[in-house]
This record gives sequence, C-alpha cells and structure tokens, in this order.
Amino acid sequence: MAVHTGRGIAAIEYPTGMNQNGDPSQAWIKVKPDGRIDVFAGTSDIGNGSKTIQSQIVAETIGVPYDWITYDNSNTDSSPVCTGTFASRATFVAGNAVLKAAAKVREKILEIAGKELEIDPADLEIVDGEVVAKGAPQKKIGVPDVAAAATWGHGELITGAGAQLKPFATIVDPETGRVDLPPHSAISYAGCAADVEVDDETGVVTVKHLWQCYDVGRAINPTLVEGQIEGGAMQGLGLGVLENCYPYYPSVEHRGSQFGSYLAPGMEQMPTIDTIIIENPSADGPYGAKGIGEMANNAQPPAIASAVFDAVGVWVTELPITPEKVLRALEAKAEPRRAGKLVVFDEEISVNAVSDGGIRFEVPA
Amino acid sequence: MKAVGARLPRYDGIAHVTGRTVFVDDVRVPGSLWVKALRSPVHHADITGLDTSQAEAMKGVHAVVTWKDVPLLEYGHLSALGIPADEPLLAKDNVRYKGQPIAVVAAEDEETAIAAVEAIDLDLSEKPALFDVRKAFDADAPVIHQWGNWYPHFEAEMDRRQIRKGDIDRAFDDADVIVQGVYRPAAIEHVPLETQSCQVVPEANGRLTIYSCTQALYFSLGVVASHLQLPLNKLKVVGGTVGGGFGGKVDTATETMCCLLARKSGRPMRWRWTREEEFLYSSTRAPWHMEIADAVTKDGWILGRKMLTLHDSGAYARFSPYGLTKHSFHHTGAYTIPNLSFDGYVVFTNRVPTTAMRGFGVTSVSFATETHMSRVAEVLDIDPWELRLKNANRIGDTSPNGITYTDPSTVPVVKALAEGMGVELSADLRAMSRDLREGDLLPQHLVGQLGNPEDH
Repeated sequence: MAVHTGRGIAAIEYPTGMNQNGDPSQAWIKVKPDGRIDVFAGTSDIGNGSKTIQSQIVAETIGVPYDWITYDNSNTDSSPVCTGTFASRATFVAGNAVLKAAAKVREKILEIAGKELEIDPADLEIVDGEVVAKGAPQKKIGVPDVAAAATWGHGELITGAGAQLKPFATIVDPETGRVDLPPHSAISYAGCAADVEVDDETGVVTVKHLWQCYDVGRAINPTLVEGQIEGGAMQGLGLGVLENCYPYYPSVEHRGSQFGSYLAPGMEQMPTIDTIIIENPSADGPYGAKGIGEMANNAQPPAIASAVFDAVGVWVTELPITPEKVLRALEAKAEPRRAGKLVVFDEEISVNAVSDGGIRFEVPA
Repeated sequence: MKAVGARLPRYDGIAHVTGRTVFVDDVRVPGSLWVKALRSPVHHADITGLDTSQAEAMKGVHAVVTWKDVPLLEYGHLSALGIPADEPLLAKDNVRYKGQPIAVVAAEDEETAIAAVEAIDLDLSEKPALFDVRKAFDADAPVIHQWGNWYPHFEAEMDRRQIRKGDIDRAFDDADVIVQGVYRPAAIEHVPLETQSCQVVPEANGRLTIYSCTQALYFSLGVVASHLQLPLNKLKVVGGTVGGGFGGKVDTATETMCCLLARKSGRPMRWRWTREEEFLYSSTRAPWHMEIADAVTKDGWILGRKMLTLHDSGAYARFSPYGLTKHSFHHTGAYTIPNLSFDGYVVFTNRVPTTAMRGFGVTSVSFATETHMSRVAEVLDIDPWELRLKNANRIGDTSPNGITYTDPSTVPVVKALAEGMGVELSADLRAMSRDLREGDLLPQHLVGQLGNPEDH
C-alpha cells in the first residue's frame, strides 16, 4: 500500500460567442455636463467581471480615467439588448458593442473640442481626460470643459450607440455539418498539466498542482483573467474528482440535497496553481481579446484522468474519479481487448454491451 | 494612463466583499406574498386529476396558478435557432421528472403557502421511467416524450447531429492501430450561493417589474413576454448582478410563474427556492455518454475519428440541441483530424432537464477527446507532448465543418505550458509553430484537407 504520484496533460480549444453566432449585444453611452461617462448595457455580471471589463474598454477608447465611468446594466428600460452572459461572449461580443459606442462618443468630443479650440478634430486626440492638439500639447481643453461647452454652449448631447452582431452561420449540409461562415467569434486555446497523488489503499486522488496556460488574445484586466482561470481550475477539479448529482448514475437515487451531501470543491482541495498567460491577439476582438471564461474548467478533468493513469495504471473514464471507482479499477485491473489492430477499452460500459440492439457503435475495421 | 491591460479594481468589488451589493433577495417590497410550488412527487406519470379549489379557499391564499392560467403554455427558448417548444411552463397532461412544477400558490406567509400546496388534490397514474440513455433506443424502452426518446428536429428533420468529413473507411483501413474507448462525465450542480429567486411587483401603471437573478436580462424578458403574450413595454426586468450563475441562470425558473400570480392577485410576489429545491429541481449540467474510435498510425498521426455521443437532456429539450451541435463542432478538439464520422443524439430521460453550464457542450467533449489522446499516446508508446504537438491544428487546416483556421493557438500554448513548468521538449518539438504545414508536418493524408486562410 502506497501513495503514487502521476502527471497528465491536456490541450483544449473553445469558441467565443454563441455557437453559430446570431447573438447581438448593444450599448449606448451619454456624457454628463462635467465629462463623466454613463454606459448603459444589458450585460449581466455573474461574477465574471463584465462591468469592470466594459468600463475599462470605454475608458481606454474615449481616453478618460477608469473612475469617470458609471456602468449601468440594471434594467431593460434603460439598457439595450444583450443576448446574455454565457457562451464566453461578454468580453468579446458585448465588449465590442461598448467599444463601438465609445468610439462614437470620442468622435463627438473631438468635434466639439475642435470648435472650442478652432482646430480640425482630425488633429486632436484625447489623453487622460484632456483633448490635446497632436504635436502641440500646449493647445488643449479638458473633456469636462468640452462636455460643459456641449451642454451649455452648443446645445448638444454627447452620446453614442454601438452594436455587435456576427451573422448566423447556417448549416448548409446537415449530412456533413458544413457551415457557410465561421460559427463563432474567435477560438481560444489552453493547456493544462495536473500533478496528482493516488492512495492505492483508500483510492483517494489528491490534485497537488495544476499548471495552466491560456492564450487570452489580450488580457484587458490581468487580475480578472487570472481569477477566471484559477476559479475555473477549481470547478474543473470538482468535475474531475468530486461532484456528481447522481452518484450511481444512471440511477436517480442518492441525490445530495444540501451542501453537506453534495461534494463541491472547497478551499481544502485547492492545489498549487500556476498560471501562464500568452497574448496572441484576436483579429476582431476588443483590443485583441478572446473569451476564456467557460473553457477555464474544461482542461483539468482529462489532465487529472491521465495523471491517475500515470500514477496507478488504471483508466477511470466515468467522472468523477471517486475513491470507490479507483479501488474498483485497481481490483479489476482491466486490460483493453486486442484483436488485430483494434485496442478496445471500456467495453462493459459501451452501448454495445448495455443496449438491447437499439443503438450500436460500429467501427469500420 | 492606460485602462486596457491594467490591473484595475473590480467595478463592484468593494461592495461585494463588504456585503453591500443588492442581490434580488435583498429587495424588500411591502405586501409581498410567499410563493410555493406543487411539484411532481414521481419521475413519470399521467395527471388524472388536479383540483385546486380547496387551496384557493384557504384563508391567506391569494392566488393559485396552473397550466390553465398561462396564455402560451409552451415556449421554445431557442425557437430562433429552429428548436421547437416541448416543455409546458406548468405540467398539463403528464409529469416527466420528479420535481416538475404543476401549480404555484401565493399566500400571506410561508406556512400558509406550504399548507396550500398540500391542500391541492392531485391524482397521478404512474408510468415506467427511463434513466439510461443507452437503453432509450431499445424496442422495449418506455416512450417518455411526445417526440419519442430522442430529439428529432435537427435540420432536414434529422434525428441526430451528424458530421462527415473525408473518407472514414479509408482512414480506418490505412490505420496501424485503432484505439477505442468510452467516456462518461457526470451531471453536476451549478451550486450558486444565490438560489433561483425573483421578486415581481405589479405597478400602478399596469406594468410588471421583475427583479431577477437572470444571467440574460433580455432573454428572460423575452421568455416572460412570450408566455404572457405581452409586448416588451409591459415588463421591466431589473437585475444585472448575479449571485452565482455558471449557466444555470440562463433558465428563467421563477419569473414567469410569479408574474402570473402577481397579475391574478394584484399583489407583489417573492419566491426564493430553498437550498433543497436548488439542488434537486433546478437544472443540472448534463451527463454525457461518448464513444470514440481513433484510427492512428504507429508514428502518431491521427488519420480518422469515429464518434457517438448520447447527450442526456433530461425530460425536455431546453438548450440541449444547441449544446450538442456545439459539441459536434469541437469533437476534434485542438487538433486536425481529416477524416470524421460523428453521430450525436439528444436523448430524453426522466431526470431534471439539463441546461447550460460553464463550457456547455464542450466540457464533455474536451474530457473525452483529451483523455483519449492520452490513451492513444500510451497505446502507441509515444510522448503525450509529441502526440499533441504533431496533430495540433495549424493555420490553413480545416475544422470539422470545413472552416479554415486562421488563428489556431494549440502549438503556442502547449509549448508555453511546457516551458513554464520546466519540461524539456526535444529540438524538433521546440521548432514547431502554428504556421502553414510543410515538410514532415504535411504528410500525404493532410494534403487534401488544407483550406485557404484568406477565405475566412
């Protein structure tokens, strides 16, 4: 009886935006008389940080400090359409909508500033809340003064609206699944390595270390990206070794109905996590960003399953990898069936073994 | 000061960690009634009798709502994608999962609401249930859904999602080894700290204000408006700050029923699911059954993949046809496999309907295909890093549905991962890039699959 160590790796990809697209997000922005910015968008913040990310995109695009931004996603009367916070779409799709709205606001600020300074707006830029003449930084006017001039002098509202919609990608041939357009906004990539310990007496799998590498396109806010990746790692760990609504699936008996009877991961399971971020900008994401929110829990389960094999030589391919499953696998020590060039694992759980002929998985051989 | 790329503080972070953020359950509206649901006590039954008169006559009960009160009983959440409606807001003729709502009551206090639910007279004729997706296709399986045991409304009324690419038979003929395995990730709960909850207020101007924990304000607005057959200006959804969603709050679980109760009684409604309801009756991540056979060469090329997926949708379709389609589009993972034959079915069972959850449709296929990759490496006795880098998708390769990759990043992330954790890759592997294939990385079986990156 001993504790064995093992390592497994996985590489994954995940699309940004709804599959097949067709999922609009819209935003509108207005400027208060002192230059402070009100953003209205319908994107729910589910803890993913979309209020923060969209505020950063607006601040960057207009050229004003982050704390000038008020972000309002509170209701469907004042905020325009956002399809929703899912499909890893908030940063990319909704982010592009606020970016487009902010670009229009920036243009309007430059136009009014041009009148005030008597300079062609094309020769002006906005830096840290001030409109300055390119190459002549002594000629400038603060965005607050521009907004005041618009309100009290020119009788104008500085505002802008933006919308992002990638057209629906149609499946033109249902036999082959071919589509007429890329069925996503971007694809993100990640790799993960898991180091585990497996106790061959108790069957307990302990995830000791997760190494994770994500291509995020552009980290709009590195702290929030790391939060997504580390939080996702814990959810992936739960999928890999702990969580199950139906402990004896397909049976519906023994469902846990309280926190004490459902094994969600807690701080005591937290392994060492190392996060590596690379930035390979997306061609059309806001500032090159891609969505990575959801994929953050996809790479750990296969890395853990592979690490368990590396540690004790058994494949557990029904998640989660509980002590009971590890001990049963160690006891059975199942070898794949080999016939000619075929190497067949898991035959006892295949449809070929369980179905009464209603469905088969036939392999050309 | 640059805003993009900066570690700026979370917009609402201080409010969250000091407990001052207002979530739905923090909204207090005087005069609100308590809401409770009568739920199916069994997995599958015909409803042979439903009498709410006793409950309605109880002191302190202001409204009882059943299927009869819903202007549009069945609404398809993804009708825009051609996925028709199959699920009634409240059960009408039958119940298909334990916990399915049949009636909702609104009462002065929680005790009265619970007593009113118990006073509803419900007669059921129990029927055999189906739980194992592998048995759903058998001749003796109970038929549990109006469309049969699996979803029959994909394009061209196909009963499965298919992907076909290249010449699968030739790939398996040419293979040195065929590696076959089965992968079954579990159903899991979303486990939000904030259970499904809402507050609905009938306003003096005739509108309904819906305080909602939805992940999708406009999605929920559309769902409620459709069931109630109202224009969007009659409703106002208030929310945008969610106490944990992870996909489960794409469902509009409480809002529509509370709107019906509010309209019937003229009183504000408050419904917060108990922790037990959240665990047992809110939708889950789907369990999946996946079988993979890969046709591979001794030196580690994957020539072809055959795959069968059974997606356990639970009692109704909800978002499952969408999830399965997304799953099928990604069944080669981060790699290029030129010859494919994928069949996927959305299978109905008598469990709580499954829904979106972080990684929807792809979490399952990533687990299956990546564990399978590790198995292939082990069977072939090839370094798992090498197998992945060799088969990684590259610019100019094509996806399962024929789209040319312009921005693949498998090679960069795998190399950066190895470097970051101090794994020494061979010089050959270190020299790999995501660029267009040539030389040793363009073997004969991949020549025909290259696309033009300029096309997309």
